This record gives sequence, C-alpha cells and structure tokens, in this order.
Amino acid sequence: MSAAFHIAHRELASFFRSSIGWVVIALFLLVSGVWVAFATLRPGEPASLRVFFGASQWLLLVVAPAISMRLLAEEWRSGTIEPLMASPAGDWAVAFGKYLGAVGFLIVMLLPTLAYVALLAAVSDPEYGPIITGYLGLVLVGMTYIAVGMWMSSLTSNQVIAFLTTLFFFLLLWLASSEGARLLGPPWSDALYTVSIGLRVSDFAKGVLDTGHIVFFLAVSLLFVGLTVASLEVRRWR
Amino acid sequence: MIEVEDVHKKYGSLHAVRGVRLSIRAGQIVGILGPNGAGKTTVVRMIAGTLPPSAGRVRIAGLDAIAETQRVRRKLGYLPESNPLYPEMRVADYVSHRARLYATPHTADAVARALKRCWLDDVATRRIGQLSKGYRQRVGLAAALVHEPEILILDEPTTGLDPSQIAETRELIRSLAGDRTMLIVSHILPEVEKTCDRIVIFSSGTVRADGSPAELMQQAPGRTIVECKGDPTQAITGIAGVDAVSTEKTSDAWIRAYVQTKPGAHVRESIGRALVQANLPLRELRDETVSLETLYLRLIQSEDDA
Repeated sequence: MSAAFHIAHRELASFFRSSIGWVVIALFLLVSGVWVAFATLRPGEPASLRVFFGASQWLLLVVAPAISMRLLAEEWRSGTIEPLMASPAGDWAVAFGKYLGAVGFLIVMLLPTLAYVALLAAVSDPEYGPIITGYLGLVLVGMTYIAVGMWMSSLTSNQVIAFLTTLFFFLLLWLASSEGARLLGPPWSDALYTVSIGLRVSDFAKGVLDTGHIVFFLAVSLLFVGLTVASLEVRRWR
Repeated sequence: MIEVEDVHKKYGSLHAVRGVRLSIRAGQIVGILGPNGAGKTTVVRMIAGTLPPSAGRVRIAGLDAIAETQRVRRKLGYLPESNPLYPEMRVADYVSHRARLYATPHTADAVARALKRCWLDDVATRRIGQLSKGYRQRVGLAAALVHEPEILILDEPTTGLDPSQIAETRELIRSLAGDRTMLIVSHILPEVEKTCDRIVIFSSGTVRADGSPAELMQQAPGRTIVECKGDPTQAITGIAGVDAVSTEKTSDAWIRAYVQTKPGAHVRESIGRALVQANLPLRELRDETVSLETLYLRLIQSEDDA
C-alpha cells in the first residue's frame, strides 16, 4: 500500500512539474470563474452555486480526460513503465497510485473555487448544505471520469487517443442516457437513466445526499481501476 | 544465484527465445552478448520478472521469478535498455522515489550513498531533463542500485554515449560490482570483454557460446599461415586437426596457404614435417592470433548462414 502512496505522490507532483497541470487549473478556473461571475454573482440570483456545479460537470468532461490521458500512455511511450513494473510495487499499486495522484490533482484544482463560496457568503447568506453536497458530487464525478480515462490511457501509448476515447465515451453515455432514453422509452429508458451521470450530479447540486449515487460513482471508479490493472497484466503477458 | 531453465518466449508466430539454459553463480559478472534481435533483452526481462516466459522457468536465489515475483524483484536492480527516466524530476527526488518503491530502509542515507557512488552529488538538485546523456545514464544506475540489490541487470548501459562517457560508465560499472552478481547486456564485444568475467553469446534466441574470455578463445577455430614454394595443399590436407586449406599466389610467385584448424588443435609441427617430406621450401609458418571478436563474428555469421 505504501508503494501506491509513493506513486500517487510522484504523480501529483509531476502535474505541477510540467506545464499541463498549471494550464488545466488555469483554464478550469478561468471558465468556471467567468461562469460564476456572469450567472451567479448578479442581483436577484439565488445565493447558491448550482450554476457552478452544473457547468463544472461539463467542464470536467474535458478537464478530467486531460488529467488522465498521460497517466499510463506516457509511461508506455517513454518506457518508464518498465522499471516501475520491475519494482516490487505490483500492478495494483501502480494503477491505484496513479489514480490517487490524479484524483489528488482534481481536488487541488477545485480548492481555489472555494473563493466563489467566500464571495457568495460576502454578498449574501448561502445555504451550505447544497454547496457541500455539490462539491462531493463534483469530486465523485471527476473520480469516475478519471478512472475511465486511466483505463483508456492504459490501452495506448498515445495521449491524444486516450483523451479522445475518454471524451467520446462520456459523450456517448450522455447521449444514450438522455436522447437515447427518451427515444427508446421503457423499459430501456429505466436502464439508461440508471447510468446517467447528469441526473445523479444534479441531485448532489440540489443538496440531495443519496448513498445510491455515492455507491454508483465509487463502484464505477473501482471497476475501471480494476480494468486498468487487468490491462497492465495483459500487456505484461503479451 | 540465477537459474534459467529451458526458457522459451514466443510472440505470436515469432519464437524469440528457444530453450535457453543458464546458471549464474553469486558474484559473477556476466556479459550477455549478441547481435540486435538475438533475444538478449527478452531473456533479461524474463530474469527481471517484467516478462513471463512462454515455457520454462527462471529462479533467482531459489525463488520462482513469476510465482514469487515480489520477493524476487527486491533482489534485483534493473536498468532497462533505453534508460527511461522522468525528465521533469530532480535527480535526488527520482532516486528517492525508486528507493521508496523498494521500501528501502533509511531512504535518505541510501539515496545519498547511491548518488555518491554514481558521482552525482554535484547534480543532485538538477532536473534530469537538463542533464547530458552520460549523467542520465548514471542516474539510471543510481536508481537501479539504491536498494542495494544482490543482482544488477544492465541492458546496453553505454548505448548512445560518446567515447569519454563510455569509458566513464565502464569504470563506474566496474566499481559497482563488488560482491554483486551483474548481468551486462550488450551487442558490443569490447563492452563485455573489458568488464565481464564470463561471456554468454546469443544468436537467434539460443546460447551459442558460454565461458570466460579465455575459455571462449579455446573454443575458437584457429588459422595457420604457411608460405612455401609450390602448392602445399596435398601435403597438408589429411593432417589431424586440419579442417580446410585455401591458397593464393604472392607477388613473388610463392604460395600462401590459409589452414583452418579445429578448436584447440596445434598443427604447426605436423605441417612443418609434411612440407619437409614433400620437399617444399618454406619461408613462413605461423599461427594467426584469433581474437574474441573473430570468434563472435564467426558464431553469429555461421548462424546467419545456417
């Protein structure tokens, strides 16, 4: 387990050693900040960050694959996976450590947005419950995006392919669970609504803390971390 | 220390390693030599536990390299062929990261020791990407040995270095040996000839020769040069130890004969006697010195011809 934490620590630090980490954070803060400034900090608007959480869910669709695309694809490309796989760390520690590092980066990226909460509190009297659940929802959805993105990254040595396959995976899922569900109707729509990320995130933004949603995001994340381990094993045996 | 037991590796229809057997004692410095594509790297990857064999077994200090891979990996230090490193990391941070992956006790001391042994003290805080290739090679070596492995595997450790860096890296490798078992993979003969006390020559996925440089020289077929007035072929052919004779005319109309001999055969005396009996005036009769390089080239060429 300690090897996983060392890998996570190296991974997290590497985001800040290269320009990618700073660029991703800057772009996320710029777009979300503009969104909050124009849609929330206006006279007559409710004192909530629901707009920010809704927008961030979509921003994460692009930002999370940008975080996850290099996790293993870059290791394959540069060959640094070889000393890692020759170490006693094991494939679970490699996959879990990299995942933890990327999730750590996601949390660091979200931390400056607490300024929006402070700003809201300075000009109004917001309800903190939906803000806390909203952040929890964002972290959980980000974790899911990153887990899927890491699996895609384990399948290729090309970061662009890892980015695009993750992005299109979630765009297809969104299309299927919205337009697809409407077109197909019951009973298919029930199954498609179950995998709808948007519906679950909107509950969090409203302040609804549903353990079913939490279990869903954690289970999907764990599944894709497990698939990443399988992918590492397969590559080793090929 | 290292037992490679009838190991095979197949990649689809490509049979890259075919029944390799090796037994390496503790403390030996072994050079794995062969042309590109001979299967050397595949074999060391199977020893390092990063690649499972298709058949056969690798045991390290009595442990199965696959079934007990975690314990085996702790005993190994591995520098892969292209020396992959994280260019954005600082030298000391990277060596420390590798030490932690191996759960090395007293990490700070171990890192300081590795940096000192690899002459990296002066660049410890520099980013790896800013270093010359020679320095990066030393970083790879420091990272491979920071956990004090019993076995050090170095795959093409001087590839891409300039001559002064090559000399420097060879000196460093020799200084790192100590009581450690070392495997040095190379396709360059002087690389292993100068560093190793045992050489294993690979070609087409099999071991073609194995022994100390002196033992390998014994295995090498020899060549004796004869210069006489008249064709000596008839007189020489049939002498025990002679494989083949070829001749050419010299500029002053004498005949120079090249006599191929079996490994370890000493035929000069018999040739001299045969030429005297044949009444052929003789002005030169000498054994040609066979270098390890000649043997190596003959071994890999004979495989190519087969």
